[in-house]
This record gives sequence, C-alpha cells and structure tokens, in this order.
Amino acid sequence: MTTIDATRIKRQHTSRLRRGDLLSTLVYFSVAIVLAIFLADGGAVYFTNIRDVTTGIGIVAGLIGSDLLLVMLLLAARVPYIDRTFGHDTALAQHRKLGKPVLYLILAHMGLLLIGYGISSGFNPIDEAFNMINTMEHMWLAFIGMALMIIVVVTSLVIVRKKLPYQFWYLVHLLSYGAVLAALPHQFSTGMLFADGTWARYYWMLFYVGTLAAITIFRVIIPVALSLKHSLVVSEVRVEAPGVVSITMTGRRLHELKGKGGQFINWRFWAPKLWWVSHPFSLSAAPDGKSLRITVRDLGDTSHRLLTIAPGTKVSFEGPYGIFSDAARTTTKAVFIAAGVGITPIRAMLEDPQLKANDATVILRGTTEQEIFLWQETYDLCVAKHASLRVLVGKRPRGVATWLSAEAYSGGERLSTLAPDIKNSDVFICGPMQWTDLVVRDAKRAGVPDHQIHAERFEF
Amino acid sequence: MRARSAFFAGAGSVAILAIGWQAGVGSLMSALPTSAPAASGTNAPAGTANSGTANSGTANSGTATAGSAAGTGSTGTTSNTSNSPSAAAPAPAAGGAVADGTYNGQTFNTRYGTVQVNAVFAGGKITDVVAVKLTDQGRQSVSISNQAAPMIRREVLSAQSAKVSNIGGATYTSQGYLASLQSALDAAGFTG
Repeated sequence: MTTIDATRIKRQHTSRLRRGDLLSTLVYFSVAIVLAIFLADGGAVYFTNIRDVTTGIGIVAGLIGSDLLLVMLLLAARVPYIDRTFGHDTALAQHRKLGKPVLYLILAHMGLLLIGYGISSGFNPIDEAFNMINTMEHMWLAFIGMALMIIVVVTSLVIVRKKLPYQFWYLVHLLSYGAVLAALPHQFSTGMLFADGTWARYYWMLFYVGTLAAITIFRVIIPVALSLKHSLVVSEVRVEAPGVVSITMTGRRLHELKGKGGQFINWRFWAPKLWWVSHPFSLSAAPDGKSLRITVRDLGDTSHRLLTIAPGTKVSFEGPYGIFSDAARTTTKAVFIAAGVGITPIRAMLEDPQLKANDATVILRGTTEQEIFLWQETYDLCVAKHASLRVLVGKRPRGVATWLSAEAYSGGERLSTLAPDIKNSDVFICGPMQWTDLVVRDAKRAGVPDHQIHAERFEF
Repeated sequence: MRARSAFFAGAGSVAILAIGWQAGVGSLMSALPTSAPAASGTNAPAGTANSGTANSGTANSGTATAGSAAGTGSTGTTSNTSNSPSAAAPAPAAGGAVADGTYNGQTFNTRYGTVQVNAVFAGGKITDVVAVKLTDQGRQSVSISNQAAPMIRREVLSAQSAKVSNIGGATYTSQGYLASLQSALDAAGFTG
C-alpha cells in the first residue's frame, strides 16, 4: 500500500515538474520567436549603422516587452493547467516579478523609438511624440496605453507598500486591460513587423486572441457559470471563538464541484456592504459533495461583516484555486504547521483519504488556548489518522526571531524535535506572513528541500 | 527548471533565432550599401510610354528607384532630366477630356521616404499610374511599397480617382501615393 502511494505521489510530482519545465520552455520560445520575427524581417539591418541602433533596440524592447506582458496576463488568468503546475500563488508571484521588467521594456520601447525616429526626421523626442501622434495611425492610443500602464504598475507598488484595500488594487488592475487593448492597434498598423499578409501577423494575433480568450473564459465565464450552476446559499453560521465563525454553504449539484481540502475560493457574499468585495478564504473542511465550509476570522477590513452574515445569503464564487493541497505532495509523509486561523486549510487537508495512518505530524500555534481554532475536530482527525499532534500555546519570546512560543523555545524545542522526520516530509505551513517566513527559514535550515516546502501566507 | 529541460529550452531558442536569422539574411544583404540594389523595379507596370524616368537626386544605394517602367534595372541612376518625363505634359485641356499623355505628380515626403507617381491618360481616362519613387526608408518600406503599390494602382484605375481608401499596413505609402497622384490629376485638370 505504502509503496503504491509512494509511487503515485512520486509520479504526480514528476509530472508536475515536467509540466513546469514545458511551460517555462514555452516562455523562452515565445521570446525567441518574437526575436526571430524581428530578424526574419531583416531587423539586423538596424545594427549595421549607428544611427539606427536606437530604433533597433527600441523595437526589440517593445517586442520582448509585449511578449512578456502576455505571459504576465496568462499567469494571472487562472488557467487551470498553469495553476495546477505552479500553484496559484507561485504563478501570481511570477506575474508580479515580471511587472517591473515589462514596464521598463515598454518604456524603453517608447523612449528609444522617439529618439530613433526623432533623429531620422530631425525632431527632438518630445516633438517627435506629437509628430507620431499626428502622422501615425493609432499612435495616440498607444500613448494612452503607455500612460495607463505606468498608472497600473506605480499604483500596484504603492498599494503593496501602503497596504491599500484590495478592491482599490482590483479596480486599478482593470485598467491594465485597457492598457493592453489600447496598445494593440499600433502594433498591427504602424508596427510593420506584423504587416498584412505576413505569418508573423497571424502568430501575434493568435497569441493576443488566445490570451484574451483565456482571461475571459477562466476569469469570467467559468466563475459565473459555476456560481449560477451551484447557486450557493449560506446555510449555517457557527461561532467558533470570539471573532471567528464557520460559515457553511449549500447548493445544487455540489458533488460536481472539483475542490480539494486546502484549496481556497474567492467568495462574494450578496449582502449589503459586502457584495462589492470578494474575499479569498480556504475551505476549512474537505468538500463532502453537499456543502462547503469556510472559517473566517475578523481581520479588520470588511471581514467583520461576515461574522453576522445571515443564513440564506446568496454566494457567488471563483475557484477553487491553489495547490496548497495533496496536489503538491512529493512524498508520503507530511508535516502540517499552522498558526491561528491558518488552521483552516490544514484541518481540511487532514481529511485527505490519501493521507495514511502515522504519516502526519501536526503542529499548532496560538497565542492563547482560544486561538487554537477548530480544536475539537482537528484533534479528532489527528486521532483518526494516528497523527502526531503538538500544540504550542503562548507568546513568542522577546528579542528572538522565532515562530515558536517562548515556552517551547526555552524548553529547547526546534522543528527537528517537533517533527523528527521532517527532512523526508512535505511541509505545509499556513499562518501570518512573517511567522510563515520564519517557519520556512527553519525548515530550510533543517535540511528540507525547497520543493517539499509548501507555504500559504495571510495578512492581518 | 531541470538541467535537461533548460538545455532543451536554450537549444530550441537558439534554433528559432537561427531560423529567423536565416530568413532575414536576404534582406540584410540587400540593405547593405555595398550589395546590389534590391530589385524594386517590378512594381510599376511595363509598357507605358514613360521610359527612363528616374528620380532626381538620390544617389545612394539605388533601392530608392521604385519603378522605372522600362526596367532600367533601377540602378539608382541619378537623373539627367530633373523632373521632366518623356512626354511633356500638355496644357490641361480646358473643361473637356484630358489630353493623352503622362502627367507628373509632385513628390511627397513621408516618414519612410518620398513618394512620387505619374498619371497616364488615354482617351480621357486614367489608364496607368507609374510609381516614380516609393517609400524606401527603413528595411520594411521597400517590400511594403512593392506589395501595396500595385494594389493602390488597381483601386485607382477602377475608381478613376485618387480618392480611394488606404491600404492597411502601408499607410504612408498609400497617403503619399494618393497625394502625389491627386497633384498629377490636378495638373491634368482631371475632375473625374
């Protein structure tokens, strides 16, 4: 039994690696293809004399920039294949990582072409900008797209730093679609690389159409269709602890919803002052085919309204997303480490039938006893799975960067004492940002390979 | 990425670039000053009376002469006759039909080079448009011009007017072409 499981998990992991490599390879190829289009068009000519080099680099920057911009959009499009391979959070982390380089490339595209064309027509770059807007087709739209893009990236950075509300960030991000669409016409009219009748034109169109279709299908059509199909309704609200409730939802044909314990869903509750934001929450119980349950803690923002939500409230959703679930497993053994409300996905994953007896170690953290949420059911599951369960209650020690409680820390407990076989285990960690980072750090120090560490962070 | 995949991705990318390079090396050679001029003399229809018309004053690489109808090989010969076609333009016919002959259009400067066309009249109708000079700056312009010019010419001949729509992807060529043509039609006193 165990060897069969081990083989299956290993195969699942290998195929995930293979898919990851395939997707990364496609990204490299896409960059190579736009460069090849440039070269096939005789682009190397630009580099044969000094005057045109600026223009040449400008065109190349625009090509690579737009190519990576489409990659960015695909990474955020919730394409199941991509999310299953990298995980929703990793895909979005890559998306964010590409943001600044793409902006710089496209800024370089604009700047260098203004200089390059300016030289050949005898204008300074500013005059050249007006000249281009006046004389070149769709150029004014391209400039609007550029402006929108600067707004999107700059506000994203400011929002991340200042922690502005999510919905503000969401609205700003809608502008990025405007930026992409506004930049589109000039690529096909003024950008001669994609002139009428060239194969490059069809390739480029296909790339754009494919990306926009993926966004429409996976971010709009499927969520709306699933929400309508299942028509979720809040059926029960149970208080777990002060400021923490479990919300159970029922709906139609829920057995058809493919969701796993540990995954999260973006929820939209159709109640006053709540309907206009969507909240990402992990399932706190594995879907049983009849109901879905989340456990919510009042984290300040609008989530305090969720504590008093009335049964009967309609719910729409996007998801389930993420591979903080058994899909991420690389070995048979697993260590689960959770702090506070971070217990929710862990609790749901403990239900996983593929998790066998004696294979799990569960470590729970809370500042007080009340902060070990869902305690009874977690305890029962641990007993059923013969899991080793450790509960560390109390504040962290002062002046030490550790995720442990002061008591455990001074008692000499470390990851290696809490979970002796951690090196050969998958480690699932869920908790607040900095706490989670500390656990990840300790896991790495304990010798756990990166691919066995799976972390989900939430922010207060 | 695992090493084998990284190697594959790298090798594949290089291969794609090599294909692109190979496909582009032709136009690269033709654009280098030392090489033979691109054969751009094909876009003007043969058989007009307009032989030996050459553009004035572009002595550079020769890719500039977009079309001398008689096929002078477009070697970039500098013009000896500055701007006079073989058939001297007759005075515009007053009111009535345009007299047979070739009428010169003015040159128009566009981003991608100057454009000049001549209009040929026979029996009061536009029977031909001869491209004297088409957009040629930038590596793509020549091929775009070569593609677009015959298309615009067809449209002009069937519409008997310079007021036809631009060819997509060849906006500058189209605009310059049609503006130059309009000036030729004006010179001929042709009102359509």
